[in-house]
Amino acid sequence: MADPLAGQRDLVSALVGDQADKWDLAGELPEELLRQLGAAGLLCAQVPAAHGGLGASSAANGEFTAHVGSLCSSLRSVMTSQGMAAWTIQRLGDADQQRAWLPRLTSGQLAAVGFSEPAAGSDLSAMDTRISLEGDTVVVSGQKVWVTAAHYADLLVVFGRCGDGGAAVVVPATAPGVLVERVADPMGCRAAGHANVRLDAVRLPATHLLGGVGQSLPLLVTAALAYGRFSVAWGCVGILRACLRASAEHARSRQQFGTPLGQHQLIARHLADLLVAEQVATRACEHASHCWDAGSPDVVIATVLAKHVSAGHAARGAASAVQVLASAGARDGHVVARAYRDAKLMEIIEGSNEICQLILSQHVLTTVR
Amino acid sequence: MTIEQTAASAVTAETVASTVLGFLVERTRTTPEVDQDLFASGVVSSMFAMELIVHLEKSFGVSIVGGDLKLDNFRSVRSMTALVLRLRGDSAPAADG
Repeated sequence: MADPLAGQRDLVSALVGDQADKWDLAGELPEELLRQLGAAGLLCAQVPAAHGGLGASSAANGEFTAHVGSLCSSLRSVMTSQGMAAWTIQRLGDADQQRAWLPRLTSGQLAAVGFSEPAAGSDLSAMDTRISLEGDTVVVSGQKVWVTAAHYADLLVVFGRCGDGGAAVVVPATAPGVLVERVADPMGCRAAGHANVRLDAVRLPATHLLGGVGQSLPLLVTAALAYGRFSVAWGCVGILRACLRASAEHARSRQQFGTPLGQHQLIARHLADLLVAEQVATRACEHASHCWDAGSPDVVIATVLAKHVSAGHAARGAASAVQVLASAGARDGHVVARAYRDAKLMEIIEGSNEICQLILSQHVLTTVR
Repeated sequence: MTIEQTAASAVTAETVASTVLGFLVERTRTTPEVDQDLFASGVVSSMFAMELIVHLEKSFGVSIVGGDLKLDNFRSVRSMTALVLRLRGDSAPAADG
């Protein structure tokens, strides 16, 4: 099958150019860039053609995500949010809802997904946002924090408690009772538009409630996060590729003690470690994408493993890259300085290192005999 | 019987139950009774339920989406069998649409 994303990497490279540093320092992505990429279907490239999407495979979208991640993790984070919103609607919505919402996400509207709350991060059982049905109206009340891309979003996919179970609702950002407030000065992915969202008795048609009532909240969140983890994992591959490139160029050109840095063995080891990190993360992500595309049940654990491996390698790799570039990379906004801050956040979002380890260890206890 | 053959040939409660049981045995090395509560016995977490969902979709050509993402649907071999048979029944009349 032809890769619908062939050629699109050059387009994104041209659109981003050398501006990622500036966007990081300003904490803002140009809205017209997001609209343009969104209208081309590139922010959620796996949406099927039947819903206006590009119908990309996980493998193709993964490589594309890594490319965007190598240029600008803030932009890649917006992609992750848009793709996760689309995937959530695909997984949780019925056929009518998919027809209603997915074409919007491939035609320029932007979306974000709200999980975390002031008292509920990894512990979903503490989630306090209430979703209730009143006749043909759904009412949403609660508070979401650190919603990536919510600053730019037209649509917010909000998870919450609903009766004895859980549910997700598509909330237009302009609906009465919705208040979106930017997180001030995020440490990483500074231009990704992280925001806190207050929902004060927001009333919407019941058709905005994805799938209906009585669903399992942990299962819904697990299903939605599958895409987010996959996307973050490939984004971390991009971070590593950017760090590898910057480190190699610097180690070739910078001279100290009369030889290029790369000829100093302690620096050379950083380069080897960065290559190993980039290759290991890539292989883990390729495996997860292969499982996704093949419909293999192994995709569930492979995706968690890829996210964990890639985020850890990206955080350590970015620290090595800053070490190699030293003062040349120690300016905020520089590609390795951004990588250092952005990668650290990747060890936290979409399942922290520790949550990933708990999931993987539970898998060991259940399946390994 | 391969997965593709299962999807193409007649699907009965027996074939669904045996496919699900086969998956559970392969993954967990335990053989539950068809009515055994897999959550109560600690076999199934929400992560493993996702594996079951992907397995059932691939094996039987169904989509488990929307309101069917209830843990009760994955609580036992019998409930998963009923879910698959219902979804395959649902999809038949929709073939002209």
